[in-house]
Amino acid sequence: MSQDRFCEELTALLPRLRRFARGLTHDAADADDLCQQTVERALKSRQSWQDGTRLDAWVYRIMRNQWIDEVRARTRRSQTFTHADEGMNVGAPGDRDAENLVELGNVGRALARLPEDQREAVMLVLVEGFAYKEAAEIIGVPQGTLTSRLGRGREALLRELGEIA
Amino acid sequence: MSVTDEDLTAYADGELTGAEAERVAAAIAADPALAARLDAEKRLRAMLGGHFDPVMTEPVPESLTLMIAAAAADDAEREMIDTPASPPAPQEPARILDFAAARARREAAAKAATPPLRLSPRWGAGAAIAASLVLGLVVGTQMPREGARTTQDGALVATGSLARGLEGRLAADDTPGDLRVLTSFRRDGGDYCRVYEARATSGIACKGNDGWTLERVQATGQRESGEYRQAGSTQGDLMAAAQAMASGEPLDAQQERAARALGWVK
Repeated sequence: MSQDRFCEELTALLPRLRRFARGLTHDAADADDLCQQTVERALKSRQSWQDGTRLDAWVYRIMRNQWIDEVRARTRRSQTFTHADEGMNVGAPGDRDAENLVELGNVGRALARLPEDQREAVMLVLVEGFAYKEAAEIIGVPQGTLTSRLGRGREALLRELGEIA
Repeated sequence: MSVTDEDLTAYADGELTGAEAERVAAAIAADPALAARLDAEKRLRAMLGGHFDPVMTEPVPESLTLMIAAAAADDAEREMIDTPASPPAPQEPARILDFAAARARREAAAKAATPPLRLSPRWGAGAAIAASLVLGLVVGTQMPREGARTTQDGALVATGSLARGLEGRLAADDTPGDLRVLTSFRRDGGDYCRVYEARATSGIACKGNDGWTLERVQATGQRESGEYRQAGSTQGDLMAAAQAMASGEPLDAQQERAARALGWVK
């Protein structure tokens, strides 16, 4: 088990991690916080990473779980009821959300409107390029669940972006 | 057999192989509606990429790389404490991930992620000159073999005609010869640096206390015998590296002349 290779690979992974974080949080500051927490956690548990397995999938899983925890915590803190179609993406003060949406381009805005579970499926497969099997493992769901979330997510995006009727 | 939406997206996502992939490909070729749907999928990917990929080329916050470097240093230390009986073989020193290495890797990653040549206009000008046909190899001012010497700490320092050329030539000079200076700039800290192209090597040299230290040297692209030579892509790489090193725009002709008058001392 080579620890310094772990650190090297993790460093090389940072640009991609930041991209994934940006997609999950759709907010640059939140994304940087999430990266910080993810790297901290990954370093703390680096002994449990098995050499020879994909480091990226392992770290993405940490990031994804970290973000879900964060979203849940925010939901509890704010006790806000929101529309079901906003999914788990709730809790940020309304005015800040509106600000974020103004800065995002069309595709970013459309993605931000997706429920959390569809958004992460879209990010993992269409942006990060993971195979269905790998993406399902990262999220921790059966492959069929992943493809159904991905299908709904991409269809909503295509419709919103005017690509399909 | 019909092709479902799931088949089509799985095909677009590269999940299908063999006969299944062939079946869907054939159906798409025969059905404009399916082809349009596939195009829409491709556009969606392109839009997502256009939105998120720029994040990949942003500089990574130092706090992240420092955190990893600190952990790597911890590991190295622990390994040394854990294995006092068998010290590591001398030819395999513990690899410690230092900040400079982390930064270099980051820059390399950023470079790999960006198109190879995205020079701003003023940097591009130097590369354009280099990429045009350069007239003539004038014999007589050939660089001696020993164009550089090594200092105690391993740096390469220019000597002889290379040093004289770096000291005296201006990028604006059109004089043909064995040494051309493509551009001059200042890096962080204020040192003057110059991108040069000589007969066999090209590089970036920066003026320090020891003289002109060669920060980067590479073989000059495609040397051709005869009267004309054409610069290879190496010059483009050098200009890109120079742009990354520089703290601002390259010097203009007037600034260069002024810097030469002061002996390139910051």
